[in-house]
Amino acid sequence: MSESLSFSGAEPPSPTLSARLSELAGFFAAPAAGRLTEEQRALSLGIARRLIAEVAMRIDPAIDSGALWQAWLRSGIPGGTRLAGACFARAEEHRWRRQSAERVIAVPLPSETPDEAAPADASMTARERAYLDLRIADRRRFDAYGQPMLAIADLDGDLFRALLHDVAAWRLAAVSVDTGRAADLGEAVRQAIERQADEPGMTAAAIAYHDALDGALPDAAREAIAAHDWPALIALAAAVQQRRYADMALALLTAEPSALPSLLAPLHLDAEALAPLEASLAMLPARAVSDFDVGAGPEGGR
Amino acid sequence: MTDRVICGRIDRAGVLVNADTPLLRLQQRAGSGLGKPLALPHLARLAALAQRLQRDISRPLRTADDHSDVHALVRIAPDADGASIEISDWRARAMTPPEMAAAAEDTALADGWTWECDQQLRLVALRAAGSTPPVPPGWEGRSLSEIFELRPDGDGRFPVLRALARQARFDGQSVSVAGAAMTLAGDALFDATGRFTGFRGFASVSEPAGPAPEAKPAPAFVDPAFGSLPLSDPQFGRRIDGALRGPLSRIIATAETISGQFDGPIRADYARYAGDIAHAGRHLLGLVDDLADLQNIERPGFKAARDDIDLGDLARRAVGLLGMKAEEKGIRISAPAADDRMPATGEFRRVLQVLLNLLGNAIRYSPDHSQIWLRVDRQGDRATITVADQGQGIDADQQAVVFEKFERLGRTDSGGSGLGLYIARRLARAMDGELTVDSAPGQGARFTLSLPARDDG
Repeated sequence: MSESLSFSGAEPPSPTLSARLSELAGFFAAPAAGRLTEEQRALSLGIARRLIAEVAMRIDPAIDSGALWQAWLRSGIPGGTRLAGACFARAEEHRWRRQSAERVIAVPLPSETPDEAAPADASMTARERAYLDLRIADRRRFDAYGQPMLAIADLDGDLFRALLHDVAAWRLAAVSVDTGRAADLGEAVRQAIERQADEPGMTAAAIAYHDALDGALPDAAREAIAAHDWPALIALAAAVQQRRYADMALALLTAEPSALPSLLAPLHLDAEALAPLEASLAMLPARAVSDFDVGAGPEGGR
Repeated sequence: MTDRVICGRIDRAGVLVNADTPLLRLQQRAGSGLGKPLALPHLARLAALAQRLQRDISRPLRTADDHSDVHALVRIAPDADGASIEISDWRARAMTPPEMAAAAEDTALADGWTWECDQQLRLVALRAAGSTPPVPPGWEGRSLSEIFELRPDGDGRFPVLRALARQARFDGQSVSVAGAAMTLAGDALFDATGRFTGFRGFASVSEPAGPAPEAKPAPAFVDPAFGSLPLSDPQFGRRIDGALRGPLSRIIATAETISGQFDGPIRADYARYAGDIAHAGRHLLGLVDDLADLQNIERPGFKAARDDIDLGDLARRAVGLLGMKAEEKGIRISAPAADDRMPATGEFRRVLQVLLNLLGNAIRYSPDHSQIWLRVDRQGDRATITVADQGQGIDADQQAVVFEKFERLGRTDSGGSGLGLYIARRLARAMDGELTVDSAPGQGARFTLSLPARDDG
């Protein structure tokens, strides 16, 4: 792209100009492809910001994550390409769930069993406990204000390590270059990596929930779809296919409607059970899916 | 959002030949206009696809102009001359700067914790917001009332428990956590099937209200059967009692009205179902009575009154109250004669309650057309009354547990809560008395209540 451009002035192009030209080049490369909406952009950016703040806090609570973010906004977020996939997947899942929740009509119905609304009982079945753990893992992916975030436990190990190194490098450059501080930061990075391995994330919770179902997988998946309990559905689909939760979420959110039955085939769901899922996904605007024949441009039918 | 359907039409070449204003405006903003090819890429592709397939297509549409994202539903109906476009559910959302979502968290929110629990009040989320102290470790999956010690409001109510019963939002639930006062508010959560799935809310730090109390309040009572709900709190018991009794009474009354076909004839099986509902309602009401009693007698310092009573008189009263029930099964009750007196000391209504429980059990578990005896006696300084039946009896193992809480000797019918005999014995002991059983399989059962005897006059 840059090779095809020439600038008369001696000054290099501004970052803004460079970004716009890159965007335009991307548009030219695929004019028919849907673009990020501002909502998607904002959600992804917010998720990235909260993730970076969380990583910074794990290295050193004294790090000013606001200053770090501002610095990276000016210079570019290191490893932006790596981050993009994770943030986009989380943002899309959030958008889907928020839209789904907005459409839920809260009609209180009497419980079928009288103890459903009973206070906590110590005697939970393995399935109930596993589902509770799944909900807990899921809610760790929101901050105190209900904004979506990426839980460290759910991050790909390589991505987390790279982020730790990038934040540590920024910290070191910002405060000092003495070797003692560098060693401290290195130790903090090492501890953070070890800590991540011990944290239960969505993928682990999904496997535990799947294992606890003990043969009731199709029923549980059907109930999850009927209830629009998308995290539970994604978890079951991920566990049964031995995929990471985030990967399964993105696969589902970007699936063609016709691909849903095969994607979820291991759950043994019939078309009727899948219908609410298909409808919910179809209602999600700006989904990153080619929901039509990509070869059929405006001129295709002429 | 607009409810109006926005229409347009393209010809076979994809040229927009007419359009309502919103669609035309978008077309113009995209650099095109009427009589020119449809310039909105997504809409153009859908139109081309519909024309190529020659069938109607309905899809979500997303597009944008220079100041808003537009989400809508579009239906494209191809025909021989082109295609008709109908756009509904048109929602234009103003574009927000990318930083908006990230900046939102800087918005000042009251200091406190955000929380979420499931339908059984088990915590699934707890996070500190603002400059609040960190949340206690190990909260995951624990009961809301374990982490937050619930305090009744001025009327003795617990807003969170009322909200739980009503599956509705609440606020103003005072709690304390590690000595700090907080106020809980929460919204009820429902899934797409309408099932209640819990609460999500905020625990705000309360303003200090005057000087700290001198004595630290006792920790909340934790009952192994009921979790950490404050069953030991008399206010709680009264409120739960009141909250359940009213609705249950209405259910029973309505079910009996239907069952009795007071408003006209209905199908027999429906009338029977209503009768079952009334029966189950009465059972639940009995359980409420038992739980209220249980909560009362297990309160530390519970004492029964020391009235001058006559066990013979109380036996006859009990028979008078349950005689009709016995007659329904053809059971004959032999009560002490009118001049058969047995003075004793105990609380009048509590002794009657024990006798009603013993006699009620005897009627329930006796065969039809059998007999029940009530006999009074005196053994030294003890006055006794015995209720004997001709039921199937209780073996030695069962006798050892028959007075345990929630023990129903393996019965699963809706006859009782398993609390009656437990409460009866607790009451007997609270009156310096005792309740014992003597039985053998096939020999019926003899329950004997003994109380301090009283010498007349």
